[in-house]
Amino acid sequence: MIDESILLEIIDKARQAGAYYAEARYHSLKGFSTTLLNGRVIGGGRADTTGVSVRVYIDGGQGFASTYRLDREGLEDALQRAVSAARTSASLRRRPLKLAPARVGRARYSVFEKKPLESMSEDDKISMLKEVINSLELEVKGMKIESNILSYGEYREEKVIVNSDGGLIISSVPRIEVFYNLAGKYGALRANRWKELGGSGGLEVLDDLRIGENLRDDIESLYVNLVKASNYTGEKRADVILSPEIVGLSVHESAGHPSEADRVLGREAAQAGLSYRTEMKPGERIGSEAVTIIDDPTIPGSLGFYLYDDEGVPARPRVLIEGGVLKELLHNRETAGIYGVESNASARSLDYRSEPIVRMANTYMAPGDYDFDELVADVRDGVYMRKYMEWNIDDRRWVARYVGLEAYIIRGGELAEPVKNVVLEINTRDYYSSIDAVGKDLVFEAGTCGKGEPGQPLPVWMGGPHVRLRGVVLRGV
Amino acid sequence: MYDELVSVVRNRVDEYLFQVSRVREVMIKLANGEASTTQSWDDYAVSVYLAKGKRIVESSYTTRSPVEALRKTLELLDRLEESPLYAELPEPNGDEIDMVDRRIKDAVVTGDTAWLIEELELDSIPTAAGMIRLQYVDRILAGSNGAEYRQEYTLFNGYIRVFKGDASGQWSWTSTVYDRRKAVEAIGIAKSLAEECEKLPRADLEPGKYRVLLSPMTAANLLTHAAMAASAGAIILGFSFLQNWGLGAKIGSDHITIREIPRDSTLPNFSGFDDEGVATRDKEIFEKGVFKTVLHNTKTAKMMGDVTTGNAGWILPRLFNIEVLPGSLSEDEMLEVLGDGVYVTNNWYTRFQNYLEGSFSTVTRDATFIIKSGRPVACADRLRIADTLPNLLKSIVDLTKTRYDIQWWEVEDPVRIPYVLVDRLGIVKR
Repeated sequence: MIDESILLEIIDKARQAGAYYAEARYHSLKGFSTTLLNGRVIGGGRADTTGVSVRVYIDGGQGFASTYRLDREGLEDALQRAVSAARTSASLRRRPLKLAPARVGRARYSVFEKKPLESMSEDDKISMLKEVINSLELEVKGMKIESNILSYGEYREEKVIVNSDGGLIISSVPRIEVFYNLAGKYGALRANRWKELGGSGGLEVLDDLRIGENLRDDIESLYVNLVKASNYTGEKRADVILSPEIVGLSVHESAGHPSEADRVLGREAAQAGLSYRTEMKPGERIGSEAVTIIDDPTIPGSLGFYLYDDEGVPARPRVLIEGGVLKELLHNRETAGIYGVESNASARSLDYRSEPIVRMANTYMAPGDYDFDELVADVRDGVYMRKYMEWNIDDRRWVARYVGLEAYIIRGGELAEPVKNVVLEINTRDYYSSIDAVGKDLVFEAGTCGKGEPGQPLPVWMGGPHVRLRGVVLRGV
Repeated sequence: MYDELVSVVRNRVDEYLFQVSRVREVMIKLANGEASTTQSWDDYAVSVYLAKGKRIVESSYTTRSPVEALRKTLELLDRLEESPLYAELPEPNGDEIDMVDRRIKDAVVTGDTAWLIEELELDSIPTAAGMIRLQYVDRILAGSNGAEYRQEYTLFNGYIRVFKGDASGQWSWTSTVYDRRKAVEAIGIAKSLAEECEKLPRADLEPGKYRVLLSPMTAANLLTHAAMAASAGAIILGFSFLQNWGLGAKIGSDHITIREIPRDSTLPNFSGFDDEGVATRDKEIFEKGVFKTVLHNTKTAKMMGDVTTGNAGWILPRLFNIEVLPGSLSEDEMLEVLGDGVYVTNNWYTRFQNYLEGSFSTVTRDATFIIKSGRPVACADRLRIADTLPNLLKSIVDLTKTRYDIQWWEVEDPVRIPYVLVDRLGIVKR
């Protein structure tokens, strides 16, 4: 880690240069990764991305600069570039930027590792991954997994953040992330399934990831898709039960992203797009009373975990939709300044090269009261979508598409035969309004959230329970 | 620096390669016609490839003193096992091609970008969003196979989205030199698309197969996915529809030729050498619809019984620049040839339902015109194109003779591409 005193010196110099807000962030990501192709290690590597960013607000404009250099000369050069950048920005602003006041923290925190990342050698980690692959049945009744890849990555993120409002946050968060892809073939039919797993913490996270169990379940799903399922045909209204996997993705896409205040204000219009919340105000109903959606950075063990954001603001759960009614937006201090509210600590950055922008952390639909069997029992004619194979959403976050990888007909309150290529295309209001029952289960999935220019792919969790949708349109591909 | 790194690994590994890059970059981001931020980067990146006993590591560091990190990487090398991808590093035969625009280099070093605002009249469109980027890279590749290359290049890239009422238009440009004409043209196109759409009535489109004109923005996004499927990495890892087709297979129509052009120094990803030091070469990926080339480094080439195509990445191959060969139509003639159909000017969020079949969907954004008898008669709200890459390639019926150099958020690598007319492309309403 860097000595914070050198960062504080830069803040002082930024003030002398005319900054009404200045921030310096030491940001280090150090880790190890390896990839197995069909159970054999194709390579491994270490990464060390370490440097410092300086962000200043001068004359109403924002300037950001980063450097790989950790010495005084390097930091002063970054400051000089940030000041010049802020003045360039200011020359192209009609409305000066201002930051909302905030009670920034002075704290140090680190995620406790029951089993530190370094407590197991790399060869033992590789052996563990090979054992997982070797334990798989790669042929199920004629359906073959033609190829599989399994990637493992672990890294420790360390930050020292200081700002001109007295904030000083020193943090250390280790994370483990796993990615795999399975390519299945049955006769001339082919399909693939990929998945991300991950959490924050030491090697104990591996127990929660259940890599082998997930892989086995996905092989079974490919078998169901390629061998057992028939095509869903036609188009009709039906009741639908969605699994936590699809609910988690959907709340991330259609509640989380549109609640990012910078997007609502048009700051990401040319990149990640717009938001329907630009035309809708808090208090407006968008869903049924069963729907409550929260983004919470403070969930222990989560991929999006933090206790203070990258502007030093203490983190808390943010209620985006409560009982079907739109609530707060996700704010950093700049967007909070425009709205005249307090920041709710949503400023995150990928690495030292990245400006802190408004991001989600762990977004989920709050669980309800129903058992899965109860949800199914009250469906006479419908479909249960358990896993998806494709999704997308328009840039206002209004109309989404989810295509089922593994899905089942529900007939007379019971799960029946599997179907594939079933498509749910639905707008956000219809989606949240059609939910009449929410399960008591709550499952989080790992994901990589995209936003920013240059892109800042950030680790997040997305979660939810099983939910039941009444009378929505389904069709075949 | 290089000697210091070599002294750490010499006699401890069978093979090594180092890439050392100094990257200076500035970017102005726009939103609502104002600068949301201006950013300046100074990066120093060291990448390392080591092989010993057919074990492979690839590591990267952003520090100028990576010796300690390199020692740890060496320790890791001993803990791995033989890679099924391992192949001996090739004899280097690359060459050095540079393209440095002094004005860009000076701007990124000093951080002075205020002149861009004036020259591109960025204050003239109160609804504009987007970004303008300048970059200078000084890159060295050297290693135990005798590779010793240096490349200097600059980049001038950007995109603008312009809003007019409920309509919008977006366009991009990319270049290795400061080219005001390109930028102004892109800004003008984005503006005119928004204005034209805003004037037209709104109309819905029923789901079905349509004759669709893809703008260079949209065609670049979709056809890049087709080109990437030709990477041996995508084929080996199970992410390519071309697993179902052999070289020589006629997949697309006679009209479509997609080339990879790493040696064209007017596009930013150019290079005379790949990451193994092999000479890059321009090549057809699809020629008149025929699948011509699987893109390889020496490792994937060995695995698949082929030869390297000068597309190394150290572990898996990579693409440089892509071009789609032009047709013979002017842009006005293209609308006439389109007749009745849809003109999609931009898209985003392309996702694959099934990589192995090439089935995808993507969502239009910005102006999407409904065309009757060669004239725009209405503007459609966001639509979803849902089809397969093989069908898209097969259904291309014409292209314009004008081409644009595209690179933006949804098209990461530069593509030189005309307008592309597709005869029967699946559109679902949303």
